[in-house]
Formats: sequence, C-alpha cells, structure tokens
Amino acid sequence: MAERSYKTDALVLNSRPLGEADRLITLLTWEKGKIAAVARGARKTKSRLAAGVDLFTYGHYLLHQGRSFAIITGQEVKEHFIRFREDPDLYPYGLFLAGLTDRLIAGTEPCPASCRLLLDSWRLLDGELDRDLLCRAFELKLTDLAGHRPHFEGCLGCGAGGAHIFSPRQGGVFCRQCAGGDGMELDPGSIALAVRLIGAPLAQARMLRPGPRQKRELAQVTATFLRYHFDLDDLIKLR
Amino acid sequence: MVYPEPLEKLITGFCRFPGIGPKTAQRLAFYLLDRPREEVAGFARAMVEAKDKMRFCSQCGCFTEKDPCGFCTDPRRERAVLCVVQEPRDVLVLERTGQFRGVYHVLHGALSPLDGIGPEELRLPLLARRIGAGGIGEVIIATNPNVEGDATAAYIARMVKPLGVKVTRIAFGLPVGGDLEYADDLTLSRSLEGRREM
Ligand SMILES: [Zn+2]
Ligand SMILES: [Zn+2]
Repeated sequence: MAERSYKTDALVLNSRPLGEADRLITLLTWEKGKIAAVARGARKTKSRLAAGVDLFTYGHYLLHQGRSFAIITGQEVKEHFIRFREDPDLYPYGLFLAGLTDRLIAGTEPCPASCRLLLDSWRLLDGELDRDLLCRAFELKLTDLAGHRPHFEGCLGCGAGGAHIFSPRQGGVFCRQCAGGDGMELDPGSIALAVRLIGAPLAQARMLRPGPRQKRELAQVTATFLRYHFDLDDLIKLR
Repeated sequence: MVYPEPLEKLITGFCRFPGIGPKTAQRLAFYLLDRPREEVAGFARAMVEAKDKMRFCSQCGCFTEKDPCGFCTDPRRERAVLCVVQEPRDVLVLERTGQFRGVYHVLHGALSPLDGIGPEELRLPLLARRIGAGGIGEVIIATNPNVEGDATAAYIARMVKPLGVKVTRIAFGLPVGGDLEYADDLTLSRSLEGRREM
C-alpha cells in the first residue's frame, strides 16, 4: 500500500475557491506528478496555509492522500512570483505558462523536468527578456516533455532537408512534393528559430534576436498546432 | 433509502446550497416538515419576495430594493471617495466596521481570463464611466488579496491613474491576535509596505 502522507516540492498551477473557506489547488510536484489537493480553511485571513496555495507559488508541501484528493497539511513557500499579479502585462503570461502546463502534463509519475521548465520560465519571465520568445521556447519544450513535440528537422514524408511547409495536423514540416498543397509555408529562418529554441537551454531565449517575421510565423505555428491537438482556444487567446 | 417525491425534491433543493451536503440537506428537510405550516409558508414567501424585489443598483452594483441604492442616494455619504469591492457581501463586511463613509463600486467578480472573466465581464467599464464623470478624488481598492484580486487591483490602478484620481489599496497585514513569528513572508512584507506612523 502506498504511503499516505508525504512531502514534495511543487508549483501551484491552479487555485480556486472550494466550499465555504477552502481552496482546491492543482500542484505540479517533483515526486508525484500532477495532483489535486484541498487546502482546508485557506481563505480565512488567519489561515497558515493561505500564503502557499495561491497561483504562481513554488513551495514545499506536506500532503495526506485521501480517497479522491490529497489534503494539504503544511506548506513552506520557497518563492512567490508576486510581480505576475501586480503587473497587468505580466499576468496573462504567468497564467499562460501555468495553464499550458496544467493541460499538457498529466499523470502521477515524477516529472522533475516539467517542474524545472515551469519554474525556470517563471523566473525568466520575472526578468528582462522578450516574453513572447520565452513563451515559444516554453511551448516547444513542454510539448516535447509531453511527448507531442512538432517536428522541424527534415520532411516528415521523405526526410529531405530544407522542408519548410508546416502541417499543424501532422505536427511537422514537409517538402513541397510531399505537402501536396497543404500547410503553412514558412521562412527558413522561422524553422531555424524553432530548432534553436527546442535544442538550446531556456535561458538562451534572452540572447536571441529573431526578426518580426520569424517571431510571427513561429507564433502562428505553435498556436495552430496547440489548437489542433489540444483544444486550447482559451489559453491561446492569452498570448 | 428512497424518499417520497415531495421530500426528495426538498432534499435535492437544499443540496444545491453552498456548503450543504446530503446529510445536512436531509436534516434541514425534516426540520421543515416538523414546523407549523404557517411558518414554512412565510419562509417560502420570504425567499420568493427577496428574489423578486432585490436587484443590483445600476450605479454601484450592490444589492438593493430601490435603484439607485441607499448608499448612492444618502446625502451624508462622501461621494468623492469610492471603494471598489469584488462581491455585494463585501459591502456588508465593510459597513460592519462603521469606518467607511464613502460610496461603493461592486465588480461582481475578479479578473480570471482562463474562466472567461475579462474586464467586460466585470463592472469595470461602468467604473471607468463613473470616474470619468468627475467628482471622485480617491478610489480605494478592496479586492481580495489573492492572485485574481491583486491582478484586478493592478488593472484598475492602471485604468484610473491617468484620470488624475488618487488610487489606494487597503492595507494587508498581520491578523489581529496573531504572533509575528507565524506570519508568512508575503504578509509580513506587505505589512511593512503598509505600515503607518504612530
Ligand atoms: Zn518530402
Ligand atoms: Zn448604489
């Protein structure tokens, strides 16, 4: 039988009121994947849980596994991303990163890489950089971790290099012969940018200076891809 | 156990109330059956009457029987100070303190784009019009100190400041009766920001 009480580091992906004074939160944990947990009394002003169960929190949690969900019995905040709630421009970006993680990552397997990616992205977002480019890198890396990464290296049909017609449905690029009139024609620079963002460490998004056309095209590519495969209309609107 | 239909309907009705589970719903239903008919009929009338007669004030958005409401028409209240809250019940909570003599603006929620709640879904355009009409010198934002409430406050501050109106946020600090050592970092840092001179 599984251990009923445990501790784990986690990121709060979602937090909503439940009943009279509780909160139901979604945690992305290093040890147990994504879990739903109840924070009893967390909406009362004197609650000792309140500070650690809001969205955009990185913390250490004590949980007790109940039949249908976990109960939070203790918490310690490691990092609060306060600027996301105090800056109207940052708020949608913060929500987008958390929301996309919530939709794409599921299951109770340990997921340290996804946790790391979201935490690093929140930290970078709090600083000076091209926020949209960070979101593109995040989208590509997260779909990769979720096992659905779009393919940009060579034609999906014949393997030929230089393929640059993207099919959202097939999730990759095709050469002109294989595309058969379908898909979005991309600038080679946009494909190079995608490949770079997938391969390079996240923080490199700070160094890249792509042109407006490449940025626009890559935004279209990931939006249509995410819409097609994950039904994420509400999230895409935040971008 | 299967109840006769009228009783089952009553229990199901209570079950929809916030914070009421099936057990409590049963208790409430049996309690009503035990009461005199006249009392129950009076209670039923009170529910329907409240539903029919209470509306939202077209100016401030709080619950009222007459539109505009008592706060908006009371000549003794300071019309230059406007307090923004999330829910109608927050107005009652603030009134209980007896400290606030201005007028209110109820948003009926907080910004939560993922739930489809943007500025248009709240009474934010109405707030902009009220302030734009002039006569307001200070806007006090009393939305909840959580992510949605803070984000809403930040949005309002950005909207109102260019109109030359003073914007303040109610102070967040230590709960009365608590020990300093148990305060979390965020509450403590906000308490320091919101400190006052003695
Ligand atoms: Zn091909
Ligand atoms: Zn009114």
